[in-house]
Amino acid sequence: MKYLFLSILILVLFGACEDDPVFEPSHYFCDSGIDNITAGFDYQELQDLIDEMVASGVPGVMMSVNYDDTIRWSGSSGKADLANNIDLSPCNITRVGSTVKTFTAIAILLLQEEGKLHLDDLVSQYLDNNILQGLANAKQASIRQLLQHSSGIYNYIANPRFQTASLNDLTKTWQPKELLDYARNEAAEFSPGSDVQYSNTNYILLGKIIEAIEQKPFYEVFAERIFKPLNLSNTRFAATDPIPDGIIQGYIDLYSNLNVINSTEYSGWDYFTADGGLISNSNDLNVFLHQLFNGYIIQESSLNEMITWKAPKKQDSETFDTYYGLGIFRIDTDFGPAYMHSGDAIGYFASMVYFPNYNVTITWATNGNYGKIDDFTQSKEAMEKIFKTLLKDK
Amino acid sequence: MRNYYYPLLLLMNWIMASNAYGQMPVKVSLFSEATSVPFDKVITTPIHPGVQLGTDFHWKESKHIKLFPSVNIGYMFHNKLFQGVYINGELGLDYKFSFGLNIKTALGIGYLHTFTTQQEFQFENGRYVSKRDRGNARIMPSFSVGVGYNLKKNESRSAEIFILHQTWLEYPYSPGFIPLMAHTNFHVGSKFYPFNKNNKK
Repeated sequence: MKYLFLSILILVLFGACEDDPVFEPSHYFCDSGIDNITAGFDYQELQDLIDEMVASGVPGVMMSVNYDDTIRWSGSSGKADLANNIDLSPCNITRVGSTVKTFTAIAILLLQEEGKLHLDDLVSQYLDNNILQGLANAKQASIRQLLQHSSGIYNYIANPRFQTASLNDLTKTWQPKELLDYARNEAAEFSPGSDVQYSNTNYILLGKIIEAIEQKPFYEVFAERIFKPLNLSNTRFAATDPIPDGIIQGYIDLYSNLNVINSTEYSGWDYFTADGGLISNSNDLNVFLHQLFNGYIIQESSLNEMITWKAPKKQDSETFDTYYGLGIFRIDTDFGPAYMHSGDAIGYFASMVYFPNYNVTITWATNGNYGKIDDFTQSKEAMEKIFKTLLKDK
Repeated sequence: MRNYYYPLLLLMNWIMASNAYGQMPVKVSLFSEATSVPFDKVITTPIHPGVQLGTDFHWKESKHIKLFPSVNIGYMFHNKLFQGVYINGELGLDYKFSFGLNIKTALGIGYLHTFTTQQEFQFENGRYVSKRDRGNARIMPSFSVGVGYNLKKNESRSAEIFILHQTWLEYPYSPGFIPLMAHTNFHVGSKFYPFNKNNKK
């Protein structure tokens, strides 16, 4: 009898562990659609770089570069699936998180080009009071301020109640209203236009504006106006299928000890909002960003508005000096300015960077994040290493 | 070496001298754990089940006030995130009303060992390998408030039913990322005196 409690405890501890799903390699098969042009280009140093990331503790990395449209290369290293020991391919699909914000900004700029809105219109001209009620600054903010994170509207993700709630129910499917509720009745960060501070709430509202104008889900607008014209065949929005066949497994180093667990089924909370939820790969992101800054998606006047920068009152000393555009950031690097956006999802990270002085675009995506993994993929030191490998001979 | 054992000897002596063993209650509670901001909600869904077993020690008691140390062991299962076993010590304070109700509060500190509920991959020699989780050591300071009701209000050793809202911190959580995590446990339980000779007929 005295061993009963102990026996039950041992049974529970070792019986309650859930194994990863079993997949065959064919589950991850992808038709690359990737057209590498590498004549005269020694891509081995970039391959060595991503191999080094994997050797440091990143489950898998895919990377793509475009040098002035004369060289294109996509490579990968590591695993798409640790449990089934399946190698990562550059054409595999993955979650790319907040990089979708650049797509959201493009959709808004395209609507302005069509005369359907103006960036300096108030948000309240397009969204009902029941959406904006309780969101401090939302009724006074303009669309431009949402795009530039200068609205001062509270970031729902920063709310500790949201952070603990999302961890408490890791497979919950969140609706936009539930997310906005975590920003309601919270004080604004500053008065509209007086500073800049990243807020996901801004981009939920931008998605709602697109839907109000186009009378269809914002991600259908993305597909019609951006994905299809650019032939981004590996890009889609999670709302249509949150965990599509072939998406690589994501892993988190939650306790900062390089002991990772599979987080693929953990819900992104942004399946139905325009602040995250994009599924793509490094190649498609590279095509998108390079085309954008080479003038193939939006008009020059729109592009100029997009890269009109606003500095925060206080820079973060642990990262590059950062300036806010419309759905894009400028960072000051050793190789001059770079235009970029990155994105985290639970178990995934992606970043896309364009160097205007060289007309060079580099994008990378990983299926691991948090803890120590971030040091190898998204820290300032990691980015400097990538940029140096990419541009040291330029 | 003698100093090392001294607190333990003192505790044993105190239990025996106060004849506490025969009067020690057994507390059993079922609870739901949640990662949650303290006192945000009474019960946060989904339910993450747990069970706790413990006892109280007699220390100071007056007509309305009862001050007592207690020890507990427990287990909790947070689906998709962790399961944990813990042992903690608490200093409890009850304010007793004459009609059997008492308001309860307790401050505690404990040791928690958590294990992932998923297959874990550990980075060794430049690659990830699937290995048995050795778990993570945590400390768990806690604070509880609640109410209890004595089933026999005129007996000092009456069986009691209680509910507790316990908030506790998990530290360290994710060093460099999330330093500590807040949790709440909502307990429903009972305290009774199976070793009290006066209860036996």
